[in-house]
Amino acid sequence: MQLFLDGIFLGSIYALFAIGFTLVFGILDRLNLAHAAVFTAGALVGIEIVTRFGVPIWLLIPIVLIVGAVLGILIERIAFRPLAGRHDAHFAGLISSIAFGAILLSLLQALYGADTRRFPPGAFPRARLEILGATVSLLQVIILVISVTLMVVLTWLVAKSKLGRGMRTIAENPHAAAVLGLNVGRISSTTFALSSALGAVAGVLFTLNVNAASLGIGHAVELKALAVIVVGGMGSLPGALVGGLILGLAEVLAVNYIGSSWRDMVAFGLLFLILILRPQGLFGARKTREV
Amino acid sequence: MLLEYTSLITLIALTAILAFSFYAVLIAGQLSLAQLGLASLAAFTSSLVVPAEPLFGFIPPLAVGIVFGMSVGVIAAFILGLPVIRLRGVFLAIATLAFGEMVRIFLINQTWTNGAQGMGFPKLVGIEIAWIALVVVAYWFWRLSGSRMGRAFAAIREDELAATTMGIDVARYRMASFVIAGAVAGLYGVLLAYFSRFADPNEFSFTAAVDGLVTAVVGGVTLFVGPILGSVFLSVLPELQRVLGVNAGWIRPTISGVLLLVVILFLPGGLSGLIPRRKSAKRLITDPAVRPDLPPLASPGTELVSLQGLGKSYGGVHAVRSVDLTVNAGEILGLIGPNGAGKTTLVNMVTGLTPPSTGTGVVLGTSLTSGTKAHRLAQAGIARTFQQIKLFNRLSALENVMVGGYRITRDTMLRRLLFLPSARRFEREAVAMASAQLIRVGLGDKAATAAGDLSYGDQRRLEIARALASHPSLLVLDEPAAGMNHVEAGLLSELIRSLATDGIAVLVIEHNVRMMLATCDRIMVLNFGEVIAAGKPADIARDPNVLEAYLGSSGSDADADAASELAAADLAAVTAESPREHPDVPDGTPARGEAAGPGDQANPSTATEPEDNR
Repeated sequence: MQLFLDGIFLGSIYALFAIGFTLVFGILDRLNLAHAAVFTAGALVGIEIVTRFGVPIWLLIPIVLIVGAVLGILIERIAFRPLAGRHDAHFAGLISSIAFGAILLSLLQALYGADTRRFPPGAFPRARLEILGATVSLLQVIILVISVTLMVVLTWLVAKSKLGRGMRTIAENPHAAAVLGLNVGRISSTTFALSSALGAVAGVLFTLNVNAASLGIGHAVELKALAVIVVGGMGSLPGALVGGLILGLAEVLAVNYIGSSWRDMVAFGLLFLILILRPQGLFGARKTREV
Repeated sequence: MLLEYTSLITLIALTAILAFSFYAVLIAGQLSLAQLGLASLAAFTSSLVVPAEPLFGFIPPLAVGIVFGMSVGVIAAFILGLPVIRLRGVFLAIATLAFGEMVRIFLINQTWTNGAQGMGFPKLVGIEIAWIALVVVAYWFWRLSGSRMGRAFAAIREDELAATTMGIDVARYRMASFVIAGAVAGLYGVLLAYFSRFADPNEFSFTAAVDGLVTAVVGGVTLFVGPILGSVFLSVLPELQRVLGVNAGWIRPTISGVLLLVVILFLPGGLSGLIPRRKSAKRLITDPAVRPDLPPLASPGTELVSLQGLGKSYGGVHAVRSVDLTVNAGEILGLIGPNGAGKTTLVNMVTGLTPPSTGTGVVLGTSLTSGTKAHRLAQAGIARTFQQIKLFNRLSALENVMVGGYRITRDTMLRRLLFLPSARRFEREAVAMASAQLIRVGLGDKAATAAGDLSYGDQRRLEIARALASHPSLLVLDEPAAGMNHVEAGLLSELIRSLATDGIAVLVIEHNVRMMLATCDRIMVLNFGEVIAAGKPADIARDPNVLEAYLGSSGSDADADAASELAAADLAAVTAESPREHPDVPDGTPARGEAAGPGDQANPSTATEPEDNR
């Protein structure tokens, strides 16, 4: 039971990161590799805000959401929009988002240095609960509630709201969407803003969970998020949620039964198998080409 | 002075070799991140076989390591390629990335590699060996770029489906590029380990793979020097900042990041895009003596296509039901019918792109089954054009047509490596063949223009030239006149007739009924997947079933009756005039021609929609 809960907590953070990742891929067909840098930025900025102003957690999350959204808009404007219409937009977008991520990380280094940073002691409640014989901290429960809430809100937004309809139209055919009078540029910006807002919050929650953040934390999570979105199906939001939970559980179980040195093998082995056996993932739809 | 930079200069060469490994897959339109995994496999396993003393007294230990490392790279790439080669784009990238990480974790957990502590290697590689290796690799890719294999890679990168219908075995070439990349990656791994005298599996990580990819893309894949330029740029940049006195810490990565962003945003072809390309592959060769000797086509009247009861259904929808059809050499068979009648599905079955659900068919001696490969049929002598134009947009018009000549030309890669005179002769033959086709369709003056920049009508003609370059026995044209005005359509009709005179069998789909009646020997009319009429053009024009299919139910409505009679008279008039050599219809008839068919709504705006699936 303890293992199961630990897996769920870890998995929900992976899922929150991955859902932003997969949102951009599903709707705009672009892989945004600056997402990991946004994750790191969310973590470090979150620590800075708490250290300096002592804000409580319920205020911290909205602030980080806004920081992430602003970063997302910058990524779209600087790294992706100038490439629109270029035949190599796929490759170029990968590289330009890597470049943006590198710049963001170096700026974070300038602001906060390269050392590992932590939240000040006593900033958050430390209460512990007993659930079905397992010990969990109040903080872990809060993390789970926040990430699940955000994912549900996002899924609802994409499925039901006018903005979501616009997004899905663009996913289907950006050219036709523009002809229909949709503001493709603005919807793309919003998509990036949402995606990065979730990425930044995932960074804060991850840091809350392990209470340590450094410049490198984004990279490890990025690789795992790739595994998550492939397992769940590229572009599928529920897929990212389920994929995240599966990966969280698989990792915790692997550490417990196989050993920590082989932990990452589980994620990548799973990823590889899924790609070979079912490339569209658990929840993805296969796209076919027309003649 | 120079000594101070020995290490930097050596690393430039090694990084360039790594970038060439990415280049090898990128030129075929594939994105693989397995390169570092292959390199580390090669590096660590080579330590098991490299002897301390020269082998047999004269083979240097490093040579053993290089040969072994490259073999490991090739074999591992092949084994990895078997399951992943069918993945595309981001999926391939992620699968190969997963492979790289799995190799890393595996090697870290082995005792013979010392795990994460790393492993020592003797120093066997210096600046000279690194640069010699780079020169050899660069030479190989230089000679590749102008060969038939190089053109096949470019074609696959631009449009896989079109490449298949040129007779290119896409799966084989994709695997070839994968294996070549594996060999280069193995070379890189061995050289790096024996240069830096130390290797730890964690150095061959995702981050390192991304660095290699960035180097290749910044350098650009349009020219073989791209990887070298990228390596120089990215290796020298930090060094330059150090010399200029820029502080270590955050400023250097910031400047590097900004410069990378600037290059990728403002130099679409990478750094090598700045170098003007040689024009030799854009010049026509019009000397008929240079053209290759071609095997004769089948004598007129030989049966080339024979379909019995061929049908295709998608779920419960019958796109094509039980079609019987024969096409003979030297004849023009027209296929008409309203939109959605199943015409394109039928020719997709004939060209092997769509497997039939029912019935049997033999095309150029190959029977149509679910296992029939489109490139095999193309090799047998089918060539086709597409309803939605599928050109290799970034290649010049001449290069497009040269790809079309894949079937009748020989691979020149090995000959070009050795600079054999025959390589030059074969390449000139390919250019001459392509030039003749370009001139035949009237695009002789546009040979150097990129296909994507041509006008719509010219793109249609270029597709025909590309199809003709394969010296086909059977030519399939899917709406060749769409978007053409009636003068252009007239010229096209003349061209089609002259092809039939040469002995080519032509199967043509077209909505321009007037042109079809004037061009074809026989016409078959499809509606809702069924043949509703077949025969000579004059009979088709009077067939009541055909008129009904085109004009809706005739009977109750007087207007429809009148329209139907008008159309019938119109069609009959055309056929009566001259079925053969009068394609060029004068005066303002297009308006009436359009009245003949609701299916005449060829829509250029959607048809030209670029569909870039990479």
